[in-house]
Amino acid sequence: MGMAKFISHLDLLRCFERAILRSGLPVEYSQGFNPHQKMTFALPLPVGVTSECEAVDIFFEDGKATDTEICEKLNQNLPPDIRVIKTGDVCHKAADIVRAEYIIVLKGNGEIDEQWIKDFFANDEIVVMKKTKKKTEKPINIMEYIRAWEIVGKSMTTITIKLVLDAGGERNIKPDVVIGELCKENPYVSADDADIHRCKVFCKADGDLGRIEVFE
Amino acid sequence: MYKTKFEACLKRVQKPARYIGNEFNSVHKEWDDKMMTFAFCFPDVYEVGMSHLGMKILYHMLNEREDTICERVFAPWDDMEKEMEKEGIPLLSLESYKPVKEFDMVGFTLQYEMSYSNIVNMLRLSGIPYRTKDRTKEDPFVCCGGPCAYHAEPLADIMDFFILGEGEEVNNEIMDAYKVWRDSDQTREQFLERIAEIQGVYVPSFYDVEFNDDNTIKSFKPNRSCAPEKVKKRIIKDLDNTFIPEKLIVPFCDIVHDRIMLELFRGCIRGCRFCQAGYIYRPVRERSVEKLVGVAENCIKATGYEEMSLSSLSTSDYTKLFPLIDNLLDITVDKRINLSLPSLRVDNFSMELMEKVQKVKKSGLTFAPEAGTQRLRDVINKNVLEEDLLRTSNIAFKGGYNRIKLYFMLGLPTETDEDVLGIGELAQKVIESFYEIPIEERKGRSVSVTVSTSFFVPKPFTPFQWEPQNRISDMEKKAAMLKDSIKSRKIVYNWHESDVSFLEEVFAKGDRRLGEVLITAVEMGCKFDGWSDFFDYDKWMKAFEENGIDPEFYAYRTIPYDEILPWDYADIGVSKKFLMEERERAYKGETTPSCRDNCSACGAAQFGRGVCFE
Ligand code: SF4
Repeated sequence: MGMAKFISHLDLLRCFERAILRSGLPVEYSQGFNPHQKMTFALPLPVGVTSECEAVDIFFEDGKATDTEICEKLNQNLPPDIRVIKTGDVCHKAADIVRAEYIIVLKGNGEIDEQWIKDFFANDEIVVMKKTKKKTEKPINIMEYIRAWEIVGKSMTTITIKLVLDAGGERNIKPDVVIGELCKENPYVSADDADIHRCKVFCKADGDLGRIEVFE
Repeated sequence: MYKTKFEACLKRVQKPARYIGNEFNSVHKEWDDKMMTFAFCFPDVYEVGMSHLGMKILYHMLNEREDTICERVFAPWDDMEKEMEKEGIPLLSLESYKPVKEFDMVGFTLQYEMSYSNIVNMLRLSGIPYRTKDRTKEDPFVCCGGPCAYHAEPLADIMDFFILGEGEEVNNEIMDAYKVWRDSDQTREQFLERIAEIQGVYVPSFYDVEFNDDNTIKSFKPNRSCAPEKVKKRIIKDLDNTFIPEKLIVPFCDIVHDRIMLELFRGCIRGCRFCQAGYIYRPVRERSVEKLVGVAENCIKATGYEEMSLSSLSTSDYTKLFPLIDNLLDITVDKRINLSLPSLRVDNFSMELMEKVQKVKKSGLTFAPEAGTQRLRDVINKNVLEEDLLRTSNIAFKGGYNRIKLYFMLGLPTETDEDVLGIGELAQKVIESFYEIPIEERKGRSVSVTVSTSFFVPKPFTPFQWEPQNRISDMEKKAAMLKDSIKSRKIVYNWHESDVSFLEEVFAKGDRRLGEVLITAVEMGCKFDGWSDFFDYDKWMKAFEENGIDPEFYAYRTIPYDEILPWDYADIGVSKKFLMEERERAYKGETTPSCRDNCSACGAAQFGRGVCFE
């Protein structure tokens, strides 16, 4: 909510860790030399992107706190713009995420029309350099990561599109990368001004595991 | 009103989380006409300002008042400043995105000379007139506190008033006076006349300064009866019974000191002659162990922080350090909270203490002998003996530390080549002391010593206030000489800052004529002078030239004792006579004992509390 979309993934993680410490909830710690709270965000949001809700798995000691207690205590101890909306057992594994759907509002500097968007998505290949985990870069064709696109709304100065992208541990592309490339094609639309909102995350298959859903 | 545009700017800048506010424990109050509003401005970026203890205290203290709203304001980084200017957004507060200009009171904290330009730039971004004389009843009162406020004459035409000393009580008195004034139909001047009578308040426009042809000060006199000849600083006598913030704001992004900082005491017993803090915060006053442990517990509960540090000038001088650490470990270890102890002095560092620290965290060790030879260390009254340093390193090496950092200064009064080269020799001896340890007792195979030097900046309210600064080119030569003399590959030597130290000296010792230079420099784009990415020496020199002012006058001159100093109006408790005597003792290489060993009658006992009466 509010300005919380500008909080980076790492900062959000720390924010939760501290909220849990304040709440005194019986969180589990990892083993090892530098133990940390067992907590994973399903699919980290890029800075500046909003979403319907975010999922985070946090492991608490069995039977020491009920779902409602966890929800209440976390909300008392989180900053006002970050709210827990639902708690429950883990139902999907973060590793099962394969795609994400975004709604993007592009804002023109004056009147804009949609042809350039069609042209853009008609491309077979647009290569960008992607940072790898080893801190090097490798070229990727972003068109291979775009699963679907659609223009869903239009006004004089804005165009709203829906985009489904590969997401998750195996193949992932950040929406801002695609929007950045798209906006390079139109000098009247700035990628920085676009509102990007994640509405859905798709998983491979359903299982039954525990998770807390978080509204941002 | 600006929020939407502001949000749009955030998408285009680095580290937007600096600007969003709404952190846990930040205070948000309803604005209405009855409330008094105070914009607490820190003239640096969020990450620096949020690490500052004084701000935490005053922010929460003012917000405890039911009639006052205190909100934070930081300097936007260059990218954000440009975006905001492009969108026509003035400087805003973090809590409610209100223009700074709409506050009743705008208070800056001056921690460091190099933030002068940021203060003026923040006024520019707020659209508040630079000069006191141009402000009207529509404008806020602009004031300034913090350690540099004792000698901030360069801001004399810019600040409506200064607050000298510790702010816990005086800020409340000022707000009370403001409330009375606001509901009256008095002029701005009448408000200033009223608060000029409060101890610790300095209203620069109530003093006339005349200059001689040689640029020295001819006279410095109050021009009305409410203004005292000398403004005496404020101190808190009983630190156990004063406001201590516990519900500290927990930032989203990483800040410089992202932890609980426990303030054990104020002041320092040592009296190192180069150190301004050692004089302006006198006398030493301690908090009790019981109080500190209670505060620590409450802070942990209220913040969820995973780290706590003990923060005072020379932390290991706290008289009950061991009992305190024992008690703190009792409440931190189980909760996986790291306890870190910075700025340890060599001479009372012991194995016992080290083991306690180790229990939680082991990192490199830092010592500050400050000078390379015993002779020069005696001159500056840094009572660190070579044997002590070597003995301590020896203990540290056996305890498993094998990285040691040593800090020194170049350009100290009476310094010779021998003193400079002595720095390298001392570092070498530390290395050798490692190899003197029998191999089976050593932990770690190798050892490294990092030597850092900074250029000495003689500061007001120290015995060296009359001393000239070494020319930057001379100090650079000294640094190069030292570098050449260091042969061991186990010693890493680095030095930084050059021209900045000169400007720091100019503004530390400057008078009110520098105000116009500041304004010119800011209009030319100077800001963030403490950041090497921004500091622009040539621009500054142009600003001096345009105003017909020679900066070398302030930095490179030996000032005679009978000259009026631009900061003579401030009474820090320590007498000028004592500082003179200290300077003479420095030349003779005579040391002065610490306040606990033997009182030297510096004058600070007039406050009637603290170490002077123990
Ligand atoms: S009066 Fe004596 S004890 Fe008190 S601060 Fe001065 S030197 Fe130290």
